[in-house]
Amino acid sequence: MLGWLRRHSGVVPYLFLLPGGLWLIAFFVVPLITTASVALQEGSLATGYRLTFNFGIFPEAVGRWDTQLLRSLQYGLIVTVLAMLIGYPMAYTIAFRGGRYKNILLLLVILPFFTSFIIRTISWKFILADQGFVLGTLKEIGLLDQGFRLLATPVAVISGITYNFLPFVVLPLYVALERIDPRLIEAATDLYASRLQAFLRVTLPLSISGVFAASLLSFIPAVGDYLNAELLGSRNETMIGNVIQRLFLVNRDYPEAAALSLILMAGILVSIFFYIRLLRGQELTV
Amino acid sequence: MSLQLQRRARGARAFAAVGVTLALVLGACGIGPGDGGSPAATNSGGDPVGGGEPAGVLNFTNWPLYIDQDDDGSSPTIQDFEEETGIDVTYSEAIQDNSSFFGTIQPQLQAGQDTGHDIIVVTDWMIGNMIALGYLEPIDVDRDIPNFAANAADKYKERSYDPGNQYSVPYQSGITGIGYNPALVDEEITSLSQLFDPEFIQKYCGQIGMFSEMRDVISLALLYNGVTPEEATIEDVEAAQEVLLEQAECVRGYYGNEYADDLANGSLAITMAWSGDIFQLQFDNPDLQFVVPDEGGILWTDNMAIPKGAAHPNDALAMMNYLYEPEVAAQVAEWVNYITPVPGAQDVIRENAEAAEAEGDTETAEYLRAVAESPLVFPTDDMLSRLHSYKVLDEDEERRWAELFQEVVSG
Repeated sequence: MLGWLRRHSGVVPYLFLLPGGLWLIAFFVVPLITTASVALQEGSLATGYRLTFNFGIFPEAVGRWDTQLLRSLQYGLIVTVLAMLIGYPMAYTIAFRGGRYKNILLLLVILPFFTSFIIRTISWKFILADQGFVLGTLKEIGLLDQGFRLLATPVAVISGITYNFLPFVVLPLYVALERIDPRLIEAATDLYASRLQAFLRVTLPLSISGVFAASLLSFIPAVGDYLNAELLGSRNETMIGNVIQRLFLVNRDYPEAAALSLILMAGILVSIFFYIRLLRGQELTV
Repeated sequence: MSLQLQRRARGARAFAAVGVTLALVLGACGIGPGDGGSPAATNSGGDPVGGGEPAGVLNFTNWPLYIDQDDDGSSPTIQDFEEETGIDVTYSEAIQDNSSFFGTIQPQLQAGQDTGHDIIVVTDWMIGNMIALGYLEPIDVDRDIPNFAANAADKYKERSYDPGNQYSVPYQSGITGIGYNPALVDEEITSLSQLFDPEFIQKYCGQIGMFSEMRDVISLALLYNGVTPEEATIEDVEAAQEVLLEQAECVRGYYGNEYADDLANGSLAITMAWSGDIFQLQFDNPDLQFVVPDEGGILWTDNMAIPKGAAHPNDALAMMNYLYEPEVAAQVAEWVNYITPVPGAQDVIRENAEAAEAEGDTETAEYLRAVAESPLVFPTDDMLSRLHSYKVLDEDEERRWAELFQEVVSG
């Protein structure tokens, strides 16, 4: 066996890829094809489903759920920008000013993951309840109007998603920033760059791969998220994830749900494609 | 690491091959109409389950706030049953709404697998749907649930969705009406217009709660429009949708059973509600009110059934039989305040009230008397005359209703 491998050493990289590849085929390719198949079927639970290659379902689904699709992309964009605005300074501080507290600070970033995502989101529901101890107290002392609420508003949903995905932004940014040699920044200042210029022309371009990874890691799950809208939002914040969930589990309209899932994937791919085009001017290498 | 996008020219032949393969694969993975036989074949034949020895394990899946609970949060009824029979019961409150729950167990049922639930509690129309799909185990009520024949009210023995009681027995009935929090509402709520009228609810915008149960929501909107829900046409339902869409801007959410949390924590002022829940919330907040609106309310029945392929049917039947003992039914009714299918429970509750009085516990005695005489627990003829049932929907109607309703809940 070992002798054979030595003679055919070109095979080794493929063998290393095998477990991951099989995993992808079993849990990504097969479900994807099944989803595509379900989308093109017609029928009902009682009578069974037949593959009718009903491609009309795609324009139909887009027409019916365009508001929710656009809203999801919009929320995803806002969340990504917000998470970046909050996460970049955080990662920067940890990477350059963290000193011996670096590891503790990183642990604090990851700490929320020790509790379930659902439990944390439900806690927000209690903390921000209309008559709960935050809003209730503020209303009591007259700082807020009686009718004021945070839950069931876009603010609550967008904040919830941002909160939940913030660690996914901080970590890749930290990794990218941590690798920057501080002497490069010193060199820039030695060459009479102001601190802002040094940041804009040295640090930021060198961390752009982290920005890219971080924005994908927040944008993709944010667009498909349904839990925050379900728990913190109302009907007016319904995202496409909620529609798909209801179509699958409540209405059991499997074809339309599957079609919408594919449309969502396509929407995300197109957005990312434009994003890459936008970043292409920058050097995407480290 | 380079992330540059590389475009690769691909031979047209390879592309065509992929297309053909894809088409073949797409055809191969379909959703069958319930593997393990067509529905018609499954529900006509099949011997009833049961008639054997209990296995000593029971997974009982129910709705929240639907069984008695002591201060520790455990249920005396379940504990007594465990002591009496030696069966170890896992009681879970996993059902928030019929359709969502069905959606989660449907794939296993279709594949002919055990869902992990031995008893499920679902509403009348869902029992009908599940029977039609062959998803419930047939039972022999006379052999295995003798207490049903002896103690159930006659009207519960003739149910249109399960003729001959072949698959299910009632758990509780209840009323869909309006619940409200007087601390947040200035006037007394008596009418559906206080739930639907866009001008009225403006004052409570964002504090109005509705259900995710399609039939409940549409039926109330039909009543508001003066239509008898059982006789509603598609045009009536379209008009009801208009009402719901106008109301939607002020609706905080379309809830499952978790509406109770938001009513209790003050996020909801006026909400659709199920009769018994409000009584239980009153333990913590005695101000909360439930009303059957002037225009009428909806009477429904939740039923216990054994899903196809359940692992412990004998234990499930033992539990069903146990719950039909008047003393047990009374114990549950005293706590859940829904309509018990065992009329004999009323006398038991009255006796319990006397006993509490004799012990000097006047507070408990008063509470129990109120339960025994409540028209929401033991409905009077006058109350029953104001209540309606859900319309029985055929497949096309169900699909159309669901489409209209989906537009309401997804803004």
